[in-house]
Amino acid sequence: MASRIVSLKVNGQNEEFIVGALTSLQDILRDTLNYTSVKEGCRQGGCGSCSVIIDGELRLSCLTPVQEVDGSEVTTLEGLNQSNSIAALQQQFIDKYAAQCGFCTPGMMVAIQALLDRNPNPSRDEITEGLAGNICRCTGYLPIIKAVEGVVAEMSGASGD
Amino acid sequence: MAEYLQPGSLEEAAGMIASHGSSLAIVAGGTSAMRYSAPQAEHVMGVRGLGMNKIEHFSGGLSLGSGVTMSQIRESLPIPALQEAARGVGGPAVQNMATIGGNIFARQPYGDVAVVLLALDATVTFSTVNGEHTKKLEDFYASGAQADGLLTRIDCAAPGGELVYLKCGRRRFNSPTVIAVAACVGLDNGKVGNACIALGGAGKHPTRCAAAEKALIGEALGVASIRAAADQAAGACSPGTDSVASEWYRRRMIATYLTRALQQIAAG
Ligand SMILES: Cc1cc2nc3c(=O)[nH]c(=O)nc-3n(C[C@H](O)[C@H](O)[C@H](O)COP(=O)(O)OP(=O)(O)OC[C@H]3O[C@@H](n4cnc5c(N)ncnc54)[C@H](O)[C@@H]3O)c2cc1C
Ligand code: FES
Ligand code: FES
Repeated sequence: MASRIVSLKVNGQNEEFIVGALTSLQDILRDTLNYTSVKEGCRQGGCGSCSVIIDGELRLSCLTPVQEVDGSEVTTLEGLNQSNSIAALQQQFIDKYAAQCGFCTPGMMVAIQALLDRNPNPSRDEITEGLAGNICRCTGYLPIIKAVEGVVAEMSGASGD
Repeated sequence: MAEYLQPGSLEEAAGMIASHGSSLAIVAGGTSAMRYSAPQAEHVMGVRGLGMNKIEHFSGGLSLGSGVTMSQIRESLPIPALQEAARGVGGPAVQNMATIGGNIFARQPYGDVAVVLLALDATVTFSTVNGEHTKKLEDFYASGAQADGLLTRIDCAAPGGELVYLKCGRRRFNSPTVIAVAACVGLDNGKVGNACIALGGAGKHPTRCAAAEKALIGEALGVASIRAAADQAAGACSPGTDSVASEWYRRRMIATYLTRALQQIAAG
């Protein structure tokens, strides 16, 4: 089987691997690079827990062959945490009880970041649509939506409640 | 373990399809293939690198590369019905990945965008080792929806009338499709001059509904002709039962949603 070298920049770090067979980006991120914020909820595209940002675009790592993202920049929750850009969102998650078991939380936060990057002032409807690909089996979604609204309010200078 | 192939040109891709036959799975956006066909295949061919994601406009019509994504359709196409259909495919991450080409091959009840393309009487163009060939999307589905080579582009003229797309789902965003309808109706002196009715979730793949079209053509678009078209569509379709909806429910929703679509057109 023909193998090739794939290079990625993951959370600012250059990485290279040799891959031959069909390999998902999820497997590389979790198993090879140990970015365990990338969850493995369904491997079917249905839960959003494996969401990552690839070249500025939200995508599902479970359905992405790593060969197809050669040369790309990939950001996982660890990357957002390093740059401290989600400190306000983390605090809002605590304040609004937006995480219970926490399994969906990394994917949610990545999806929220991608949403706010495109639309810094989303309406409730736009938040709901922006998070429509991320399943949460615990919170009932409202606390998560309120956390996003809290961040948006903080960013625009109003109070979080 | 599937071998991963990345052709560098359309010719090379067509060659790989010809030489590997049914042992090859094609991955475009991967949102369907990575779940169903690719994991079991002997060879997997990724087509993202082929640059088939261009959108070209010509005198009201469109030429869409098969790799154009749902997000591209939402952001840059002038046809609201196509944008609406793309908006209904999964959540934002799926829309950034899923392609229009993949949507044409989607398993039922999916293929939301393909339903609109059928109502636009689009054509599909394949690249093979023996050259290019183009056929109507309608004929492609009527002959069993078998890919012959690499799907490179989809072309359609400007809508020949008022075009409305409606999807019946289980929730507002990111919903599996119960059924979808697209109706394109051109009025001529108050009478229906041309009608193109396409249904999703109504059979093995998206289908044109000739019986409903016949019920409309030459008639005024009003209560009687709309009811006749909806009855014809409900009678002629052959939906399936799955975890999303039953055959019984789908048949009724086809009549209900086609009625709504035609009423919208009648209301202007
Ligand atoms: C969570 C989720 C929700 C979804 N919701 C919807 C929905 O609401 N509505 C809907 O319509 N679909 C839905 N889908 C299904 C699917 O995402 C879409 O139909 C999508 O458009 C498929 O495109 P793709 O590029 O990902 O196709 P792929 O998965 O890459 O390919 C699918 C098939 O198309 C064939 N193919 C693709 N490109 C070519 C080509 N250039 N030449 C020849 N053959 C080709 C391949 O053989 C492959 O078997 C959903 C999927 C997921 C994961
Ligand atoms: S693991 Fe990727 S969407 Fe569920
Ligand atoms: S907090 Fe448990 S799945 Fe969302």
